[in-house]
Amino acid sequence: MTDHTPDGSKGHDAHFVPKKPAAEVDSELQFHLEQRIQENIARGMSPDAARRAAIERFGDVDDVRDACMRLLAEDRRAEARRDWLDDLRQDVRFALRSSLRAPLFSALAVATLALGIGANAAVFGTVKSVLLNALPYGNADRLVRIYSPFGTSDRSGALSAGTVSDIRERQHSFERLAAFLPARDGIYMGDQPQIVKSMFIEPGLLRTLGVSPLRGAGFRDDDGNHDTTTVLMISYGAWQRLFGGSGDVVGKTVRLNGIARTIVGITPRQFVPPQDDADFFQPLSIAPFMRDPVSVRGSHNFGFVGLLKPGVTAEAANHELNGIGAEIERLFWKDNRGFRLVGIPLRDAMVGDTRVPLLILLASAVLVLLIMCANLAGALLSRTISRRKEFAVRVALGAGRGRLVRQLLTESVLLSAVGGVIGLLLATVGLRLLRGLALTSLPSYADLRLDTGAVMVTSALALLTGFAFGAGPALSVGRADPQGTLRDESRGTSETRRTRRARGVLVAAQIALCVSLLAAAGLLARGLWTITTAPLGFDTHDLLTFTLQLPNSTYPDAASRVRLHDQIEQAVRALPGVKDVAVASQLPTKVTNSNGLFIETAPWAANAAVPFITTARVSDDYFKTLSIPVLEGRAFSTIDRADAPPVLIINEAMARKFWPKGDAIGARVHVGPPDPKAPWITIVGIVQNTRNDPTRLSPEPMMFFPQRQAPFGDNVIIRTASDPVGLTATVRQAIAAIDPTLPMYNVATLDDVVATTFAPRRLPVVLMTAFGALALLLSSVGIYALFATMAASREREIGVRIALGATRRGIASLILREGGVWMIAGLAVGSVGVLFVGRFLRTQLFGVPELDPIAIGAAMSVLVACAALALLAPIRRATSVDPITVLR
Amino acid sequence: MFAKKSGLLQGTVELLILKTLSWGPMHGYGIASWIESSTDDVLRVEEGSLYPALYRMTRKGWIKAQWRVTENNRRAKYYSLTAEGRRQFRDQTSGWQRFATAVSLAVTSKTAPSWAK
Repeated sequence: MTDHTPDGSKGHDAHFVPKKPAAEVDSELQFHLEQRIQENIARGMSPDAARRAAIERFGDVDDVRDACMRLLAEDRRAEARRDWLDDLRQDVRFALRSSLRAPLFSALAVATLALGIGANAAVFGTVKSVLLNALPYGNADRLVRIYSPFGTSDRSGALSAGTVSDIRERQHSFERLAAFLPARDGIYMGDQPQIVKSMFIEPGLLRTLGVSPLRGAGFRDDDGNHDTTTVLMISYGAWQRLFGGSGDVVGKTVRLNGIARTIVGITPRQFVPPQDDADFFQPLSIAPFMRDPVSVRGSHNFGFVGLLKPGVTAEAANHELNGIGAEIERLFWKDNRGFRLVGIPLRDAMVGDTRVPLLILLASAVLVLLIMCANLAGALLSRTISRRKEFAVRVALGAGRGRLVRQLLTESVLLSAVGGVIGLLLATVGLRLLRGLALTSLPSYADLRLDTGAVMVTSALALLTGFAFGAGPALSVGRADPQGTLRDESRGTSETRRTRRARGVLVAAQIALCVSLLAAAGLLARGLWTITTAPLGFDTHDLLTFTLQLPNSTYPDAASRVRLHDQIEQAVRALPGVKDVAVASQLPTKVTNSNGLFIETAPWAANAAVPFITTARVSDDYFKTLSIPVLEGRAFSTIDRADAPPVLIINEAMARKFWPKGDAIGARVHVGPPDPKAPWITIVGIVQNTRNDPTRLSPEPMMFFPQRQAPFGDNVIIRTASDPVGLTATVRQAIAAIDPTLPMYNVATLDDVVATTFAPRRLPVVLMTAFGALALLLSSVGIYALFATMAASREREIGVRIALGATRRGIASLILREGGVWMIAGLAVGSVGVLFVGRFLRTQLFGVPELDPIAIGAAMSVLVACAALALLAPIRRATSVDPITVLR
Repeated sequence: MFAKKSGLLQGTVELLILKTLSWGPMHGYGIASWIESSTDDVLRVEEGSLYPALYRMTRKGWIKAQWRVTENNRRAKYYSLTAEGRRQFRDQTSGWQRFATAVSLAVTSKTAPSWAK
């Protein structure tokens, strides 16, 4: 009986605090009732009566008990939450303090994290917008693109009107089908004439895709059935650009290609057609194409999209289309086999060739992230080792190990959270850069933004990274033996064999990943180098090019167009600074037209596919202007008039392929849809090969026809004496002098035109090299840290060795041997990685071997050189250890 | 004793508890007994309803609980005022006094309203 408190209690009973709410409430209420019963008995009641009276006075015991228990349980939960939050707040404060105490480490960690996470966020944002986000169509998952492929790729091949109609009649897989023609240049007459992209689509296309107009009613089903279309729809972009987004644009009449047409709708903001992009959409009907007996099966221009019936898979539809293709081949292509039809999901068709480069990028971003984790784990490990004593003291003072682990994890997660936030900012900047660099090489629907999904994935990634590189060191603290650590003073600050091995493995892993990444960058760069430096077969420098748009109203027939070409060539050739000038259907390296080839003396076997040959129509001076040598025969000239015998010129590749005996000159052919009434065309010349697709090394066979005999396409190519761009204004004036209404656009040097072809190829190389450099930097820091701590931890031993007469060279080789093992292990594992990388990149290398010694050798030597640099400082420090200082 | 059947407002119960504890820490039974005796047993219905009020007040941070041993060596839960509880007690007491005076003024008024004349 010691301390009586004023309230009569004997003080705090720490040993009796009921754990469960039920127990606490029960014992409190029981105490109340018992006290009341005792008092009642003291007043003279019988025990039974006393109990009854007490309960009556208390009220409904069960009710009160329930109410109290509910309140108490809520209270306890709130308290637990408060405790947890308190702990967290304390941990975060602690983590902040200890991060600030090691500012260099923290800054380095945050910077590393920001770079790694930023790179990943940017790449993931891109991958998501291209490969994961839904197409901007309501029926995105049920859409199939139909191709009639020729050549190797199944992802191209437009259809003829006849085929479109045949598929419509026979198919059972699709609910709707809609055809369209590729976008073409047109003249929109606003305040002044402008070149716009215009595209013919069947009125049902939007409904097939599951898109409704943003404004206006859109097309009616019969809108295409007029000889001249009088209605059109405009894209959101055109609405903003050409009409300032004005509200009353629907119903307005505008002039497109010289004809007044009424706007009946605007497509939604996100909308892009399944192919190309366009400002204007005009209604299409295939009926007129069906009436032309030659082009009905001979002109392959139509894109075709179908909406699958519910429950029908794309594979089933593809199977049905294969069957229809075989049937069409039997019926219409008896003499020239090889006609096929395929259906592939529209998404795959639109993603096209970007899938592989994007996946490569994603893989390399993940590699960088792994290197980063390994690096940070290594750094945190050595920091943990240097703090081991602090932890031992805290464990000895009663800190829970769980709590210590939690604190360390809080620290690493805090670092990664800060790094993640900065990384997101970097990613936003990076995506903006990427948009400039890559937009032309990505599908048109790709919207490069960090949306909520990408931000969430990045945040998760940051937290995960924090756990990943924090877990190892944290657990090693959990395992540590505080007594041993405290007793053995010298060991408190040095590494154990186990942690040294852990660091070695981390560094080896970094080296392996880094070698793979560098080799990949090297291989891709070599591929790009090979393809861009390989000669195209003509001189691309000092060439100015532009496109003219000849209105049908002013130049209705072939003769008027040829006359204009002649006038332009004469006027331009007379300009000072101009050496040569030519007009071609399409620019070199950009020729997309192709025609079936039939040789008079060698008809195709019944089961052989007709070869399609890339075809250009060029003016007389084309070969001279481009400096393409004529190897045999002659170039075109003024004698190849419309009424002269038809002629063509072929390139060397074509001559080799079809006339291996060298008898091409004088041979006669038919091209295009077989038309027995057409006259034979005679080969009059063979020119040197040019590569039409700069991303392919081997030149393809090509045919050239004289513009004079069938003018088509109006691209002007000018060979200048000096800077081509400087000549633009003069040329523009010369053209305007001939016809002031003639729009001249796409003005560019041919060098630029070729460069844009490589843009999609350049993107992965640039990014990959950036990742490689990042990985190299991170790995070098990792290697430096490994050797620095290794040397520091053995300072005493080195001092003894030096005192006992070891040479500096001996000391250096001691350190090198120990660290070098890990480097060699890393390089060995990395070589295996290089094998996989080569296999993975095979399709992107353009003939550079998968195990190209130059690329891989360069990757290895760059890494070894950086590693050697990173080694230098620690080794110098180790060899200059002063035995007296250390041993004292 | 309190709540429903007594016609007492929730706030009144809390004020009475605060008043009781202003003398010093006490357990639920003690609080109930003191309120009953100090009001001449006028407020003497269902002591049980006191407890939910105590738990609610604990939660609001006005009072805190501690297990102690009584003079008779029994364990009981003692409640005491927190700083916030003392402040509440002051505020509520003056509020109650103003309220009671006002009501009493009206109820005992000898001046008839104009319309009753």
